[in-house]
Amino acid sequence: MSARNDIFAAIRKARPEVAAPTSIASEAQACSQAMKRTLPPLDASDLVGLFTARVSAEKVGATVERVARLTDLPGAVARYVATNALAPDFALQPDPRLQQLAWQDAPGAELRPGAPLRRDTALAVGLALGGIAETGSLIFHSGAEAPTLYGFLPLHHLVALDAQTLMPLLEDYAVFASGLPVPRNVNLVTGASGTTDIEGVLARGAHGPGNLHIVIFN
Amino acid sequence: MSAPSGTFQERVDKALGNAQLKVALERTTGNARRKRAAAVEAWPDFVAARAAAAAIKDHSIAHMAYYLEMFERNALASGAQVHWARDPDEACKIVVDICKAANARTVTRSKSMLGEEIGLPHALAGAGIRRVETDLAEHIIQLAGETPSHIIWPAAHRTREDVAKLFDEHHREKPTAHDVVSMVGSARKELREDFFAADVGISGANFLCADTGAICTITNEGNAELTTTPPRVHIVTAGIEKIVASTEHALQLTRLLVRSATGADLTQYTTFHCGPKRPGDLDGPDQFHIVLVDHGRTEMLTEMPEMLRCLRCGACLNHCVVYRAIGGHAYGGAYPGPMGSVLTPVFDGLEQTRDLPNACTLNGQCRQVCPVDIPLPTMLRHWREQSWRAGYEPKTLRAAIRLWAFFAARPRLYQLAQAVALPAMRLFAKGGWISSLPLASGWTAARDLPKPPGESFLTSIRKGGTP
Ligand code: SF4
Repeated sequence: MSARNDIFAAIRKARPEVAAPTSIASEAQACSQAMKRTLPPLDASDLVGLFTARVSAEKVGATVERVARLTDLPGAVARYVATNALAPDFALQPDPRLQQLAWQDAPGAELRPGAPLRRDTALAVGLALGGIAETGSLIFHSGAEAPTLYGFLPLHHLVALDAQTLMPLLEDYAVFASGLPVPRNVNLVTGASGTTDIEGVLARGAHGPGNLHIVIFN
Repeated sequence: MSAPSGTFQERVDKALGNAQLKVALERTTGNARRKRAAAVEAWPDFVAARAAAAAIKDHSIAHMAYYLEMFERNALASGAQVHWARDPDEACKIVVDICKAANARTVTRSKSMLGEEIGLPHALAGAGIRRVETDLAEHIIQLAGETPSHIIWPAAHRTREDVAKLFDEHHREKPTAHDVVSMVGSARKELREDFFAADVGISGANFLCADTGAICTITNEGNAELTTTPPRVHIVTAGIEKIVASTEHALQLTRLLVRSATGADLTQYTTFHCGPKRPGDLDGPDQFHIVLVDHGRTEMLTEMPEMLRCLRCGACLNHCVVYRAIGGHAYGGAYPGPMGSVLTPVFDGLEQTRDLPNACTLNGQCRQVCPVDIPLPTMLRHWREQSWRAGYEPKTLRAAIRLWAFFAARPRLYQLAQAVALPAMRLFAKGGWISSLPLASGWTAARDLPKPPGESFLTSIRKGGTP
């Protein structure tokens, strides 16, 4: 017998399936609901405030900036480049909403978007699909407009996040995702890369970005 | 890479004699305990949450065949190739064959305990394939030629001074300084080239999501995505017990897993991988293989189903007085600590490994911190009873007694172990004498131990009385 058949036979011997799919589904649903009832209360009236507090907490360690709208992103990138003494060339996630911004008009720095993403890229600028307030996580679904590596190769990752796309809980993300096609990668990014592998001491920028800056717009 | 050698007793002796080891273990597990405690305190209903998490896992275990079939269907639809392996040999052969078919010279690997369990590093070496471990701790122990000693912090036994020495010796560019940050920077530089030179990337999985056919990895460095995205081929190896009904269940379990492991709300990178590169994708592997491994798990469905809940969070290791004294290598298997003492006899046979369930104080700490409420002490007792019944226990003084001696010489640790162990010990007492204390099996087989008084010696002295 094939390994597959053997394994299924062994499972079925120990656990003969008697339930109908609909009753399994409602049992699964009941499990999720029971877990939700244990969660600490979360004030969903100010998701931006909640998200900001989470993501800038020491254990997450990102920085956050608030701007009025997406068209203010080039200005925010220019400020970030100046503050961190970075070169004005950066890799831009190939999302049309980012590409059509007036980068050349950003005051204070001659920004040059569109540098190819490389293994030593200093800065990449991206756009998140959404955010999760409970954990301070950014949501990315990979695709032609959101290659996975933009979030992992650069030393600095600067991400624009639409305040309207914030959701309170991980469970809300699950509901949101169930209405979308399943992407190759879902990346829930919570803060900058870090490691505690040497004596449990936290060090940033292990392999992914050492700095995560989030620009929240309305 | 050398697996720990010698008998359990020899390994325990060696570990107890290594003062450096104790320092390293205390730094890592102490940090972990503090952070977990803070995270749990911020979740007032944590006890109820543990029960809910156990129910979520029990649900997928109860309907394991149903959900594995659903997972397979969805994974195949995403373009993934799904393989099944009954045992480690089959699993390793599948992985090596995929590597060979891809003409792979170099594979990168992000930390996977299942990979250690099935001996994948050895199998790759045997096939002449260069393996680059990309998780920082795995990188450290690969340089040291060792196996992991902790399931979350594989290099928990190494001090920063050890790491400095290893990096100075092996890195193409030596670290600029020996503080932790500089050494992490040095590893970043060292591994960057390998991420892009690799033909195949191998990862494990924290969850297999039946509803989408995606596998979920939870990591903090970013090395997992750099391991799985650039190479032409991504291979996932996972135990079949990783199956969960849905993305929602995976995320709900992640909430407890991460708090229990590191004290964070969510680890940096929670990533779902579903199939190979799609049309239009600028990155991602051309082939995506999932190798699903049984290796005793279908037997555990009958023997010890609760153990299939295990999320591999490591909390039971961090809170175990024995683990903290002897570290992971003394256990001799891929999984150390309380969960390892339950699992290793399943994988390697009880006769060879019966010392493990004996090396336990039964203080109950492991169960208290387990995010899915696995009754670890009950299971360890089960193994002890089995071992007795099978006649595996010798009549001589064994490693377990030496451990007691170790604790007795260290009053604070001893007390901690005693406080909860005493009620358990009294269960074995008859008429004031203990005749078959499982922990001290060898000892009590030869002579009776006096029954412990109601309070331990030290507790009553502290209270000003005499025992
Ligand atoms: S047995 Fe429980 S505490 Fe130990 S690793 Fe598994 S889930 Fe974590």
